Amino acid sequence: MDHKWPDNAQCVVCITIDYDGPSNDISKDLIPLGKHSHGRYPAKCGVPRYLSMLERQRIPATFFVPGYDAEHYPESVKSIVRAGHEIGAHGYMHESFDVGNKEPELLEKSHRILTELAGAPPVGWRNPGGGKSALTLRTLRSLGYIYDSSEKDDDFPFFPKLDGGAIEDFINLPDNTSSLDDFPFYRVSYTPPSEVLAHWKQEFHATYIERGFFDLIVHPRTGFGSGSPTRVKVVDDLISFIKEYPGVRFMRLDEVARWCLANPSMWRSEFREG
Amino acid sequence: MSQSRALSSAFTISVNLHGTSVERRVVSGDRLVGRYAYGKYIVNGTERLLGLFDKHDIKATFFVPVREAELHPSLIDEIGKCGHEIAANGYELEDHSKLGDKERDVIKRTFDALSSRVGKSVAGWRAPDGLVSERTLGYLAETGFSYDSSFQDDDHPYVVTDCGRADFAEVPQNEMLMDQTLFAVRQTHDRVLKNWIEEFDGLQSEGCYGCLTLHPRPDYGVGRPSRVLMLDQFLEHLKRIRGAVVFKTCEQAARDACADMRSQ
Repeated sequence: MDHKWPDNAQCVVCITIDYDGPSNDISKDLIPLGKHSHGRYPAKCGVPRYLSMLERQRIPATFFVPGYDAEHYPESVKSIVRAGHEIGAHGYMHESFDVGNKEPELLEKSHRILTELAGAPPVGWRNPGGGKSALTLRTLRSLGYIYDSSEKDDDFPFFPKLDGGAIEDFINLPDNTSSLDDFPFYRVSYTPPSEVLAHWKQEFHATYIERGFFDLIVHPRTGFGSGSPTRVKVVDDLISFIKEYPGVRFMRLDEVARWCLANPSMWRSEFREG
Repeated sequence: MSQSRALSSAFTISVNLHGTSVERRVVSGDRLVGRYAYGKYIVNGTERLLGLFDKHDIKATFFVPVREAELHPSLIDEIGKCGHEIAANGYELEDHSKLGDKERDVIKRTFDALSSRVGKSVAGWRAPDGLVSERTLGYLAETGFSYDSSFQDDDHPYVVTDCGRADFAEVPQNEMLMDQTLFAVRQTHDRVLKNWIEEFDGLQSEGCYGCLTLHPRPDYGVGRPSRVLMLDQFLEHLKRIRGAVVFKTCEQAARDACADMRSQ
């Protein structure tokens, strides 16, 4: 299928920031203090540092915020909204596991919390740590969401299938948690920041050549995240590098989703085996 | 953010004095051989670090499990005589997140035993393995400690507001500035140095506080000769711009945080 980006852009770039406050650690049954206190960093240091960098770069971003973190750091969430960025949903307690029948209730709970803080309901969701079930899409649609950024099986946006049929009022905006995410490098392989930057530049270059969709995932915390001065500078330098390419469009994910829904013939539907 | 290159950063070199207290958590004293022998390197590693700190004229903070002080009283004396700060690192490397009702007593015994060995009240405490409970800070404050250094949630030392005292500070650590983080996953010396330099340069560019956490051990620590040479290069890097780094012990960093709070 032949796709086009807004303004005939060669490549769309989304900077997405998964808030991951203490909810991430609590969901793993850790006491979010001491060496597990990394989740207290976003509200104090990481988010202000990102907002300042994004303002200087003059680009919009998408922040995915777990409901629990929004409850505990409401001013932090409001500061993101005031700066013009998108707030998406990201679980209540960053549930990376199957929550069973409680899932709709938890999605609704986070939805209420975020709607109140942001002044408008979120329209996008990203699964926390890969946790998603057959119930998720159904619930998100009923709450009015228009996109999910959790799937790893395509390079471009695609329409999900529901009850065997394709739907065109909801789009999947794939994320790449193996090579466009800070976690694998700063936690799994402990790669020095300068090497992570070099790697992400290569990723962008290849995506650009294919007129692709570049969706970077970072976390404003310490530890596995990118909240520290050095690591925010990596994202800052990456953005400056990307800006040297002609025809790049920086967008929030909700803007990408609306573009896709307005131009349904450009996107294929979910690939199913068998 | 990065416009503040001229700022100076406060920086602490801290050492968790881990010897056989680590192995003694799982085996008895007569089994400290083979893969359980690493802890016996403590004197080799510590002597080497003391020599390096002397060369660089840096006063460090040594977090000592009381068990190590009992096993190596003369080493503790020597560290003290060199002018380094001695603080506590648990009694015998307890997991404070699981002590429950016993925690208050363990903290009190740790404070009393180490203060008695050092000959004065020790100011600081660091959780073994960084694990704390919701009640740890309150117990530390009521016992007589002046600061904790177990969290990793800020760019600067800060006064803890909800521990029952107005002059108790948190002196945060940084996972990426711990030898254990990288040596435990078998990173090379070059890569550890690269990580440390890059992390530090970012902190320094914004005037943030940094805390390096070392161990005298030969497995996850920096005690081996080749690693101490790498550490020497890192310290040279910290000192390459005159005035860019002010070395403080954790106690000084905690005291300064309380003084800053009072002057606001």
